[in-house]
Amino acid sequence: MLTGLALVSAVLISLEFTTRLLEPVRSVIGTVVSPLRYAAHSPYFLGSELGEMMATRHMLQERNDLLEQRVLELSQTALVVSNLKRENEQLRDLLGSQARLPDAGLIAELVAVVPTVNTHQIIIDKGVNAAVEVGQAVIDSEGLFGQIVEVEQAQARVLLVTDISHAVPVQINRNGVRSIAAGTGRLDRLELESVPTSADIVQGDLLETSGLGGRFPQGYPVGVVDSVVVEPTASYAQVSVRPAALLDRSRHVLVVTEGRQ
Amino acid sequence: MNPANGGWLILLSLGLAMVLAVLHTPESWPQWLGWLRPAWLALVVFFWVMELPHRLGLISAWVIGLGADVLQADPLGLNGILLAGITYIAWRFYERLRMYSVIQQCGVVFLLVLGSELMRALVQDVAWGRGWSWGVLAPALMSMLIWPLVYLVLQRYRLQFRIE
Repeated sequence: MLTGLALVSAVLISLEFTTRLLEPVRSVIGTVVSPLRYAAHSPYFLGSELGEMMATRHMLQERNDLLEQRVLELSQTALVVSNLKRENEQLRDLLGSQARLPDAGLIAELVAVVPTVNTHQIIIDKGVNAAVEVGQAVIDSEGLFGQIVEVEQAQARVLLVTDISHAVPVQINRNGVRSIAAGTGRLDRLELESVPTSADIVQGDLLETSGLGGRFPQGYPVGVVDSVVVEPTASYAQVSVRPAALLDRSRHVLVVTEGRQ
Repeated sequence: MNPANGGWLILLSLGLAMVLAVLHTPESWPQWLGWLRPAWLALVVFFWVMELPHRLGLISAWVIGLGADVLQADPLGLNGILLAGITYIAWRFYERLRMYSVIQQCGVVFLLVLGSELMRALVQDVAWGRGWSWGVLAPALMSMLIWPLVYLVLQRYRLQFRIE
């Protein structure tokens, strides 16, 4: 009996790593056990609800002022952006290249954190019912957050950019040098893979998604180069990057649903 | 598992163990606290199999493991076989285990959880290249330390509701 189960497990595990056949099965089981996840998260949910109820008039006033100011700032930026966008489209027309599809987003809230210590994954509250699909990019207000790796009925699992099994094609916003930013298993650090020692990368460079590979949309900030270490004997430079997204703080994220090439 | 005669109560305790297994600390708390999580589900399964070997079998342990796989984002079947392994050992030696003192049981718990964590680390290393660390010792140690408490609470629970 035990050997039978071990065989079944071994087959399932290897299927899981080589194919996507088991995704629907996972999704069904996930829908069944999702109440447990809600139960585990309920203290925080209750806490934030209570906090909102207890918020004083003064605090609300202050927050409101802050938000109004932010709206003002952002709408100004939006004005500039829309101008630039029009100009960009005209230039693209002149060049005869294809116009880019605008990205649509779906706001989702974080409902749980996957508890395993050596992995960085979160659960969000949108799933099949909101047309979320595996592979869609997830961003927050500051930059690229991760990607959807599993979809259930009303929840989805997001692999964060810093997970050790995650990597994203990036380019440097200053000069277009391309590379791949891989997770390191630490929330405050990514690493660029196989960067030649001669590459033009300096501290403070902004990395954005390059859109190569077709999984992530182009142009979302990924992080800022923290340090570049060139060992004279090594064949590659060690470039460490601080992720732009607020990976441990954001409660709301945006699932990018359209505009993928 | 038979739902009558307290089967639901056994399920309830297993559900609670799963909730404890995914409960996370507030974000402001230091992250290393996450390493101190005992293997709740393994402890509760071990208790029930040792006390009531006729109620919880290999297959039900394996199925419970499927739920844990999805909750903890492990590959499907991994927790199933780990729990089934623990169930097998508890079922094979339940008479002896019951005679053990709590301290001896703690030792058994340590070895069982350590074994299953090593298996888990092996699979994750092969699959994702997560690598090895002394971190596998933490759940085993914590499970060992918390076992007397779990044993007391579940024993009270079992006697209170006369689950047999």
